[in-house]
Amino acid sequence: MVRLHTISRYVGLLLLVNALFLGIGMIISIINHDSGTYPLMYSMLVTVIFGWFPMIYVPPAQNISKNEGFLIVIFGWLITCLVGALPFVLWGGEFTFTNAWFESVSGFTTTGSTILNDIEALPMGLLFWRSSTHWLGGIGVVMLSLVILPNIGHARFVLLRTEMSEVAESNFRYQTKRVLKILLIVYVGLTVAETILLWIFGMDLFDALMHSFATIATGGFSTKNLSIYYYHSVAIEVIIMVFMVLSGIHFGLLFATIIRRSTNIFNSVVVRYYVLSMLVGILFVSLNVHGKVFPGFFESLRYASFQVVSLGTTTGFATIDTKLWPAFSQLILIFFTLQCACAGSTSGGIKVDRIVILLKSIQLNIKRIHHPRAIFTLKLENHIIEDEIIKNAVVFIVLYLLIVFFSGVALTSLGMDSMTALSASAATMGNVGPGFGGVSSMGNFHNVPELGKWILSANMLLGRLEIYGFIALLWMRRT
Amino acid sequence: MGIKYKIFSGFMMLAIMLLVAGFVSIREFMNIGQSVKKLLDDNYLSIDASQTMLEALEREDSGILLLLLGKWQEGRQVIQSADSLFLVNYAIAKKNITIPGEAELVNKIKINYANYKSLWERPIVGTDNEGDFEMYYSQHHQLFLNVKHEVKNLMTLNQETMYQTSTELKNRSQRAVMPGIIAIVTAIVFSLLFVYYITYYFVRPIIQITNGIENYQRSNENFDVEVDTRDEIKKLADSVKRLLQSLS
Repeated sequence: MVRLHTISRYVGLLLLVNALFLGIGMIISIINHDSGTYPLMYSMLVTVIFGWFPMIYVPPAQNISKNEGFLIVIFGWLITCLVGALPFVLWGGEFTFTNAWFESVSGFTTTGSTILNDIEALPMGLLFWRSSTHWLGGIGVVMLSLVILPNIGHARFVLLRTEMSEVAESNFRYQTKRVLKILLIVYVGLTVAETILLWIFGMDLFDALMHSFATIATGGFSTKNLSIYYYHSVAIEVIIMVFMVLSGIHFGLLFATIIRRSTNIFNSVVVRYYVLSMLVGILFVSLNVHGKVFPGFFESLRYASFQVVSLGTTTGFATIDTKLWPAFSQLILIFFTLQCACAGSTSGGIKVDRIVILLKSIQLNIKRIHHPRAIFTLKLENHIIEDEIIKNAVVFIVLYLLIVFFSGVALTSLGMDSMTALSASAATMGNVGPGFGGVSSMGNFHNVPELGKWILSANMLLGRLEIYGFIALLWMRRT
Repeated sequence: MGIKYKIFSGFMMLAIMLLVAGFVSIREFMNIGQSVKKLLDDNYLSIDASQTMLEALEREDSGILLLLLGKWQEGRQVIQSADSLFLVNYAIAKKNITIPGEAELVNKIKINYANYKSLWERPIVGTDNEGDFEMYYSQHHQLFLNVKHEVKNLMTLNQETMYQTSTELKNRSQRAVMPGIIAIVTAIVFSLLFVYYITYYFVRPIIQITNGIENYQRSNENFDVEVDTRDEIKKLADSVKRLLQSLS
């Protein structure tokens, strides 16, 4: 039986973490004498009350069931998004309730799609909170995929094993506390390293920290209307690109590489495919935009690489408006919007792991056609991948694409053009951020109809919880 | 934590939530009042003065035309009354400098108007200039347009600021209303949560204890009531258990 009071206690704990960041935002606003003080203060108060109140009544639980664990994750995500919208809706400006909800969901799911026309109009404290939603959401995602889901079990959640990747399951089966420690070290370490580098290369400290929050979480919220283009700096672009690529890799693998384990990013098939696919993408896009959009090849390479890496890691930062690019380049970018980065990272989308499994299973099926009596097995990272996992990966990809398609169709019924609708749907489902057409890299989601914003918010949450989070919730009654 | 403090904390949290929402709303409403005053004092006065200055300038221009037509008395009368009207409103605009860049514009108006005035103060009727419309277009009208341009700039600056202030007012009104709405919604949710905890942690165990005692009385059943919390309810259940054990 699910204990609602126990769930409320642990959701309350999550709210207290949010309250801490709301408090920091409030202090920034107080120091800066900006209009964010009272919205952040009141939001913090409400969050503290709702977080702390269950602690007074509900004693700590000795054990939490799988179902309760899942409900904590799902309610935690939904209530956190709701609380995250409070400072925005209290501040006003461009934030209606729908807009505030969209921005909050986009932040916590590390999507990075924005409804804001003028980001720079936001007070500093609110900008901090906006970027913090990414950072908090990012760590939440990694913990979900590497700590909570593996602990929830196997059988019924066998589908989710692909999510955390076979490598993660076999080599990083540490105690929860140890895994948490590792994740925090990698997550905070990457954030600090990027902040320092961006600061050294010309960003002010606040912007450097905010962009690091958004990069490590593969979110994409910038503090500037022109995103990274604002800085006109190759050094800043390169630093952000490197950290985007790193943040798209399995965090356990990153840690293993740092501590020089035998299984590391250099011998991982998934990482190799992830990097290679992006390099091929960069090459194709560079050649395509060279002469058509940019006269020089260096310029083409610079902008193409940033956009491919930005979308391929689901970050969504921009240095150029890609809606003006040729259709070939746009379609390649859409491929990366769907594929996204590695499992066990902060990125969303179908994920490279599933694509690798899919490609290998196609290869396997061709072999089986040629040699019908032979017995073949699919191997990934020296592990045999069971047929069930292959089937689940394929089902996931099909289900994912169907949701993208049907939500795109729903958006066109609201009057949006097909390119904007489908790319917005893919970009939110993959937690990427910008799409094409009316929601391109230099545009925003302000003009999307109200109902459309709710559809896209649902997409972001579905994408973040890997679809199966909700499916598992529906199955809960059977267990 | 005892029952008293648990219940007290619930009510206190509710009260704090409503009090702070009330405080934020009142503060924002007071700010709205100040913004409205600012809107009227700073911008509306300057816009009104600019409009009157434009009207005065048009009348002065008509006065000059009357002089060119040889109507000295009517022309001078119109010009003098328009001049005094212009100067009164110029003084209002000068006194009401509140926006960055407004002082420069007011100064430009002063310089351009002085140039314009120096031209129409010279005699026209009975001189070679009477009926000289070419001279009017090349000199008087040009200077008239210059002053008009600067006055219009002053009006536009104030109108833009007025628009910004009104947008700010809209935001402030949202900031004043939203804590109230959020306080109502959160207070309802909080009350439901409060009732749930009270029912689960206080009412339910009391019913269980009562049922346990009744069962003991009726059929000598073992008193087996487990209470999760470490408060008076737990003490009550343990005491009843010990009492019934001592009786049996």
